Amino acid sequence: MTDQPPTNPGSDSNIERTLTDALRTQPLSEPRLGRLRAAVAREWLAAMGAGEPAIPMRTRWLVLAAAAVIAAVTTALWVARPTIPAASIGSMTRVEEGGLAVRSGLLQQRRLKSGDLLRVGDRLTARGPVLVTLTRGGTLRIAAGSSLSATGPAELSLERGLIYLDIPPGSNTESPFRVATKVGAVEHVGTEFEVKSDDKTVRVRVREGRIRFLGTADTIVADAGTELLVTPGKTILQRSIHTYGGEWLWTAALAPNYEIEGRPLIGFLTWVSRELGRPLDFADANARQIADRTILHGSIRDQSPFEAMSNVLATTSLTYEIRGDTIWVRSGP
Amino acid sequence: MYEADRALVTRMRAGEQRAFDEFFKASAPRLVAFIARRSALDLATLEDIVQCALIKAVRNLASYRGEAALFTWLTEIGRHELADAYRKAARRPAHLSLDEPDSIARVEEQLRAPENQEPIAQLQAAAQRTEVMKILQSLPPHYAHALEAKYGDGMSVEAIARQLGLTGIATQSVLARARDAFRQRWLEASTDAGDGDPVK
Repeated sequence: MTDQPPTNPGSDSNIERTLTDALRTQPLSEPRLGRLRAAVAREWLAAMGAGEPAIPMRTRWLVLAAAAVIAAVTTALWVARPTIPAASIGSMTRVEEGGLAVRSGLLQQRRLKSGDLLRVGDRLTARGPVLVTLTRGGTLRIAAGSSLSATGPAELSLERGLIYLDIPPGSNTESPFRVATKVGAVEHVGTEFEVKSDDKTVRVRVREGRIRFLGTADTIVADAGTELLVTPGKTILQRSIHTYGGEWLWTAALAPNYEIEGRPLIGFLTWVSRELGRPLDFADANARQIADRTILHGSIRDQSPFEAMSNVLATTSLTYEIRGDTIWVRSGP
Repeated sequence: MYEADRALVTRMRAGEQRAFDEFFKASAPRLVAFIARRSALDLATLEDIVQCALIKAVRNLASYRGEAALFTWLTEIGRHELADAYRKAARRPAHLSLDEPDSIARVEEQLRAPENQEPIAQLQAAAQRTEVMKILQSLPPHYAHALEAKYGDGMSVEAIARQLGLTGIATQSVLARARDAFRQRWLEASTDAGDGDPVK
């Protein structure tokens, strides 16, 4: 052992070392810093895009007062919220650019990747399009810019944005899937439907099957091909819509992958028909028989439904054309 | 007094990418260190808090008036975020349900000690940091700020001078007085603890 001379704890060098040792911290790693930078840059660009208009002082005070009231009410609601077990509502199947930020509880915020679970109580902000496979069957597609909460194993609350639910017939129906909005709730009855919510209006569009809309004053049952427009304090507007076309393309872009290997062609064509919102019809009995007995091989991963249909039918003796709203399949050229 | 900071914010509000780059490079690592010194949070939570603080800052650039250094303004937002985080954490249940499928794995992960880290040494380092921070908080704010900038962030005297709105010579003088004040309290704390180091 070596005797070391006693050091003077008050010497300049000791004081400087004490300060440096105590105050130097571990920096964030490059990936963490990069992620942080991307998140802040996105918000900065969004704030710049909003233009930051000059607000008159009086209005600013009113806005501040309103914000204080909202904050107080939000806090009270949060404190009074019921405790919900954190069951899984679904799993992330596809996360496009921007992804999905999830806040669980008040502190934990994380970005979800494919395979991660969404749980009851999670509050979601979609920065990019997202596909979720629901635990009880079916899919949830979320458009970029949407904010929603998972409020139950089969219940969502849509604050704003655009979502699409596809609950195929035969899925778990012990309790209907429900989407709550600021003007009422939508319940499915084995269906595909879309809900859009902005500051003023909620729009529900039924693509297949039937939904029940439970508003504050009315309950309406709407069938496939119906659009409901609900504005607080006004009569619910109802009109007919197409179940196919450009307005539904965003849902097709988020369609789940369909595994064709070893499956019959008819199953694949039925899937395409549902995804495109177009009825499927056969020009002749032979075409139907071919569709029934043809077993597919290979993969159509990451192809849109239309693209996949063209590619798959090109390997068979069947062809298709679009006649009106229908996918018309026939044998031979 | 803080013309450079005000000009930087004006450029950011005009959407100048280079201004944002300057802002982030100068602020983010320092804010991370600032929050880390005042907490014992894991890196992920630290990152969340800093992210929230910086996002609030960029959303509210219009409210920065140049009355204090831009970083001082950011640290105020950071302090609020940290306080919020602690308040929210205090309200969260202190237990996990083991009925959840992933909870056992999560608990195991929390119990696992980080590799290559000596728990006793870490405890001593944490205790020393707490004591140093306590003393810094008892000093005049510009002393604490100067010491933290020099020894924590490794800033030059010139950079600290810009932060404090002082000349280089005046800043050196502040640093010397701040060190003396710190030394005196550190030694007092050592004496109170009955040995040469307050945290041994």
